[in-house]
Amino acid sequence: MLTITHLQFTWPTASKPVLNIPMLNIARGEHVFLHGPSGSGKSTLLGLIAGTLDCQQGMIEIAGTKASTLSRSQRDKFRADHIGTIFQSFNLLPYLSPIENVTLGCEFSKKRKQSITSQSKTLEQEAKLLLTELGIDEHTQQRSVAELSIGQQQRVAAARAFIGRPEIIIADEPTSALDADSRDGFIKLLFNQAAVYSASILFVSHDKSLAPLFNRQLSLSELNQGAQYAN
Amino acid sequence: MLIKLAWKSTLNRKASVALTLVTIAISVMLLLAVERVRQDAKSSFANTISGTDLIVGARTGDIQLLLSSVFRIGHANNAVQWQSYEYIKAQRGVAWSIPISLGDSHKGFAVLGTDDNYFKHYQYGKKQHLTFKAGRAFHNPQEVVLGATVAKQLGYKLGQKIVISHGMGNTSFHHHDDNPLVISGILAATGTPVDKTLHVPLSAIEKMHSTGHSKTSRQISRPQHTANHDDEHEHEHEHEHEHEHEHEHEHEHGSTNNSALLHNLNSTPGDLIGSTKQITAFLLGFESPLYTLQVRRNINLYKDEPLLAIMPGVTLRELWAMLDIVEKILLLITLAVVLISLLGMLTSLLATLNQRRRELAILRSVGARPWHIFTLLVSEAILITVLGCIFGVALFYALLIAAQSALQSQFGVVLSFSPLSAYELTLLSVIIGAGTLIGAIPAARAYFYSLADGMQIKT
Repeated sequence: MLTITHLQFTWPTASKPVLNIPMLNIARGEHVFLHGPSGSGKSTLLGLIAGTLDCQQGMIEIAGTKASTLSRSQRDKFRADHIGTIFQSFNLLPYLSPIENVTLGCEFSKKRKQSITSQSKTLEQEAKLLLTELGIDEHTQQRSVAELSIGQQQRVAAARAFIGRPEIIIADEPTSALDADSRDGFIKLLFNQAAVYSASILFVSHDKSLAPLFNRQLSLSELNQGAQYAN
Repeated sequence: MLIKLAWKSTLNRKASVALTLVTIAISVMLLLAVERVRQDAKSSFANTISGTDLIVGARTGDIQLLLSSVFRIGHANNAVQWQSYEYIKAQRGVAWSIPISLGDSHKGFAVLGTDDNYFKHYQYGKKQHLTFKAGRAFHNPQEVVLGATVAKQLGYKLGQKIVISHGMGNTSFHHHDDNPLVISGILAATGTPVDKTLHVPLSAIEKMHSTGHSKTSRQISRPQHTANHDDEHEHEHEHEHEHEHEHEHEHEHGSTNNSALLHNLNSTPGDLIGSTKQITAFLLGFESPLYTLQVRRNINLYKDEPLLAIMPGVTLRELWAMLDIVEKILLLITLAVVLISLLGMLTSLLATLNQRRRELAILRSVGARPWHIFTLLVSEAILITVLGCIFGVALFYALLIAAQSALQSQFGVVLSFSPLSAYELTLLSVIIGAGTLIGAIPAARAYFYSLADGMQIKT
């Protein structure tokens, strides 16, 4: 699903590469925990995979496409079609309803829209379905984003990442703002949904205690050979 | 989609957007109002007189003569001798002439002494002649013709008797109670100072003053009328007396109903000039415009008294030329106000941009391209500007309704309620264009933010 080979990335002002990954491979449906302390080049790696950073050396292949060879706007489109993203916190646009926040995941992608309309469902129906599966009930769906708890907000964000069945979900510390109970619950929901959609998950966190929940654990510092830490 | 996002995002920042909107709306209203008043003032003035080739009065400034004779603004201090008028109107090429005598008023409305030529030859707007809404022109010294506004505001009816005072203003010290006039006609509205004028025969003015408190300098020199003119005059006097008896008779019965009032109109024609010795000014129309310059020259060189002849169109243009700089400054100021309001929008958009970097990162994460971000921000600016313009136009029309009557009664400027003109629409589109350009500044910034930040949330 995701293959990275000989990836090197150097910030313009730095003399040594922040990333140097000879090999990383994630299979379809795999739930990977990537441990990376802050400053380990985590954000850079995610930016490269998502395509907001230019790949300087090496190759990134996602869902059979060599993403690293695409142009910037092609990468934006590719990201819209194939990658769902969940951030640390405040994932939602405050001026949209929870349902609109979820359907936003399809607005920039024809492919994701079609995957829903081909099942003769509307975006809104799909969004409601996903929200319900992720434990946001009908009543909560109608409330304004600002009234939701952080846990609920993260689940709405997860629904947005999943809508339209992207092949890979990138989760960047999505649980760091949650307490332990809701953290485990959130990860469980994430796995269930990923299983339904057979999506791969790349879950990045500095919190090692989450690692046992995943079927594969990686450490960025081990992957990242010979690279100079930014700090 | 982006428009919807722009709309919702704008709505989300109601408070700051509303303030920006109000500033833009007020500035748009100001600009439209200034421009509308400027143009309507021009056309009101330009429409007041038409078809008149020369205006002749005692020597004064060109503009002063135009303003006093046609617009009833200011006073003419000197008069034109009647014999000069008689002499000039007999010149070759003169098709018609209208004598004008100003200086009296009735309840704040100007009283204009003239003769029947006024109703035959006076033109306004696009060479339109005066028409009667009711009744007919006066044909003896006991009759008066009202302008539309006078009749409407004072509630006067055809056939009613009114008293005209000497001097200008509402509070005249002495009223000529002995000299009531019958309303013989009411003119249709023209949108010019004619509407606010009471038209009486020159002889009525003469009579008012001769029977008034003082036999002023006007009376000292007897007019030098032709013999047959005087005969005619004396002859008419008999009629006048008869009429006065008739009128008094009716008054005793105290009948105020319309048919009785209309009975007052059954009068016989009489002398409209009387023993007039002086008039304020007169209007001339020529058989061919070719005569205009020649006669004008002759009048300006007239030996018997210092006279001034002006061509209304030319003098009006001189007036505009004088006012041009004021107009331009006014326009510049209002444009500056519009610009300031747009800069206010820029400030508020830029100020919120930093807080919105998270929003931009989220949009990027779902696949929005940097130009989507740019479009989103520009749409917001356009949205605010367009809404501001719409509210501004609404405010503008509200202002028109509020200010219309005051402007008309104070300055004689008739504001048109017409839909926005092509020029005004151009102004609005220029404002919207400027708003778009200004909106491009924060949009460009957001574009580069989103390129640099990618999906990283920087706050």
